[in-house]
Amino acid sequence: MERFLQDVKPGEWARVEHIEGGGALRRRMMDMGIVPGVEIEVVRCAPFGGPLQIRLKGYYLAMRRGECAKIIVSVPEQSLLEPSLASR
Amino acid sequence: MKIALMGNPNVGKSTVFNALTGSNQQVGNWAGKTVERKSGVIQRANEQIELIDLPGTYSLTAYSQEEIVTREYILREKPDVVMALVDASNIERNLYLVLQILELAPRVVIGLNMMDLAKSAGIKILSNRLAQVLNVPVVEIVAAKGQGVEEFLSEAIRVGNLKKDPLRDEVPYPEELERRIQAMEHLLADTIWATKYPLRWLAIKRLERDSEIGQTWRSIPQNSKRSKNNDSCCDSGDSIKYVLQDTDTLPGEDLLQAYEVEGWSKDKFEMTVADAKYQYISKILPEFRINEGPIKRTWTDRLDEWILSPIWGYPIMLIILSVVFWFSFVASAPLGGAVSDGMAWAADMIVGLMQKVQIPVAIQSLVRDGIFAGVGAVLAFVPQIAIFFAFFSLMQDSGYLARAAFLGDRFMQLMGLHGKSFFSLVSGFGCNVPGIMATRTLEDPKDRLITMLINPLIPCVPRLGVMSAVVAAFFPGSLGAVIMISLLSLSMILVMFSAILLRRVVKQRERSAFVMELPLYHIPTLRNILLPTWQKTYSFLRRAWTFILVASIVVWVLSSYPQGVPMDETWAGKMGGWLTFIGQPLGFDWRIMVAIVFGFTAKETTLSTLGILYGVAADASQSIAQAMTGAMTPLGAYTFLVVYMLYIPCLASVVTTYKESHSIGWTSFGVVYNLLLSFIVGWLILHVGLFLGIQ
Ligand SMILES: Nc1nc2c(ncn2[C@@H]2O[C@H](COP(=O)(O)OP(=O)(O)OP(=O)(O)O)[C@@H](O)[C@H]2O)c(=O)[nH]1
Ligand SMILES: [Mg+2]
Repeated sequence: MERFLQDVKPGEWARVEHIEGGGALRRRMMDMGIVPGVEIEVVRCAPFGGPLQIRLKGYYLAMRRGECAKIIVSVPEQSLLEPSLASR
Repeated sequence: MKIALMGNPNVGKSTVFNALTGSNQQVGNWAGKTVERKSGVIQRANEQIELIDLPGTYSLTAYSQEEIVTREYILREKPDVVMALVDASNIERNLYLVLQILELAPRVVIGLNMMDLAKSAGIKILSNRLAQVLNVPVVEIVAAKGQGVEEFLSEAIRVGNLKKDPLRDEVPYPEELERRIQAMEHLLADTIWATKYPLRWLAIKRLERDSEIGQTWRSIPQNSKRSKNNDSCCDSGDSIKYVLQDTDTLPGEDLLQAYEVEGWSKDKFEMTVADAKYQYISKILPEFRINEGPIKRTWTDRLDEWILSPIWGYPIMLIILSVVFWFSFVASAPLGGAVSDGMAWAADMIVGLMQKVQIPVAIQSLVRDGIFAGVGAVLAFVPQIAIFFAFFSLMQDSGYLARAAFLGDRFMQLMGLHGKSFFSLVSGFGCNVPGIMATRTLEDPKDRLITMLINPLIPCVPRLGVMSAVVAAFFPGSLGAVIMISLLSLSMILVMFSAILLRRVVKQRERSAFVMELPLYHIPTLRNILLPTWQKTYSFLRRAWTFILVASIVVWVLSSYPQGVPMDETWAGKMGGWLTFIGQPLGFDWRIMVAIVFGFTAKETTLSTLGILYGVAADASQSIAQAMTGAMTPLGAYTFLVVYMLYIPCLASVVTTYKESHSIGWTSFGVVYNLLLSFIVGWLILHVGLFLGIQ
């Protein structure tokens, strides 16, 4: 099921499908390890529409919702994903 | 031999640099502290080594200013050896940059830092396996404790002294890409560029249409003496300017066009190259990284549950910030008072002695009314500075600051600021110069400009120190705390107001992304707290007995000559006289105007000047508090505090704004804006106060 990263609930894992928009934003994300195929956990959302805390490749990132809305992910059956892949 | 420290942000490069060179580069637990290169010379065996600390970067395709510094250094200066520092607790992402470095630099040593953190998170890294897989020497280190740092350096020296560049395995690229890289390599092999850079790297960059390929740059070293000047609060690194000398067009344009037709655009090449590197990392990872047992919930997870909690996050932040400011600027008042009284007592003692040995009265007055009144006034808030920096280092080094940025981002967004502006603004409390420089981490020049222009509205520690001294004099007890909080809130409100205003003035089309790393919490080492605190306090003290001393003597001379005339006919008095037309609407007398003008050189000078101007008049040793309270109403004092807090921070910050914005126009705009804002707000406060009948 495809969604925006923004809409993934805290505690859920998702796999990056692709990143909308090109140029600087995509490259910046690429440098931080957000490339298609990577698994991301949404850890929590800051209140009042603040940024999201996500976890990938064993580290934490904060990202604004605007940016998260550019990342399209697929949310697999949660039990199928191996969380140890992306956690420390 | 030139050795450069490279790595992702926040992996401990500056910690290693400090340990090896004894420098005091800023260290803290958030990404993007170092924004300018900094070199240090060390001697090992009979080898002179120039070690260079570089800003952290996530990749060598750089966008923000501080990443460009690193990229330019590595491409244009070509160090003999690269010390690639890696965070062992976050090795997967860190290796991405390492692979890029390996493609570019022939001699590399990997330092596996934060081994302690990795261990406590249940990660085991087999460093010798890593060395085998990448065919590069690897040294395990715990930089914060100084473990392995010396070995890291000697390994780098050994690699630097090898007769031939070591051989290395290459990242395997998918067949389709590999073919194209080789075709490009073939075309480039005979150019002189192939002698300057590794062929493979050159070919990839050519395919990615990197604009730097083919350019020759000449460096113009900037006069670094200037940056070490006494009157600036901090060291801003060794910047270098480059001028473009030559641009070569490299072969391969036809090939690139042909690839474009086949669908291999610049973007596709970049993407595929990056993807191949990540895949390679995932492939080799299990060979050297072992997760011991089930995933452990780390300290970071547990703490963040509270600290970043939607409910508790803000109250906790409020408590922490209140504690910091309370201890630094309110609770410390008695300490400042004690220093001040001590200085007055010492002045009396010394002048008493001088009288006994019949030293001329003018000299006595210079010592008492010039040096002691001036320098003493400034020394009185050394305790504030020390306490504040201790807390500040604690917040920085533990990793809380990055959390505060996470929580505060919503407000940054409301103000239309970029999330990373938070660090620039917070650094401004320490000193506005690094605060302004910290805007380098903002990719968008417009975001940068706005943050740079509002930074001066954040009161830096010297300013806060002066303010708390004045507050303590006029508003003793808990009223002082209320006044201090009201001033800080005012500065926050004006920062917000100005940000929103500037958004309208500075036209901006696109907003840049906010992606920020939230590092693991570190237990701050005593060294990391006490050392920066001492260094900051010491540099402040040094300023007091160099710059402030000179300024005090100058002010004393100005306010004592021509001799025998009333105070307001001395040189200082005359000077103040010309300024009264500005001060009048605010109810400032000429002394305050003179003090404000002198404060432009360095903010503490305002206090030393006030000390002298009131002290000379009083003709006796007294603490500055006594002198000032007699001359101003509390409302007048409050107006003064507001104006003082808001007008241009100091010469150094203006110079930095110019250097960073490269624009006289915007720099002057900033200065004028600050001046106008401070006077208008001051005027409003005075008149509203008078209207309400407050004295
Ligand atoms: N636990 C632990 N912490 C470390 C170690 N080495 C450094 N640190 C801490 O890691 C943080 C980052 O260190 P810095 O030296 O400022 O990192 P940097 O690479 O210079 O960072 P930037 O200049 O922002 O790129 C600081 O809080 C250090 O105290 C280590 O081996 N173990
Ligand atoms: Mg650094």
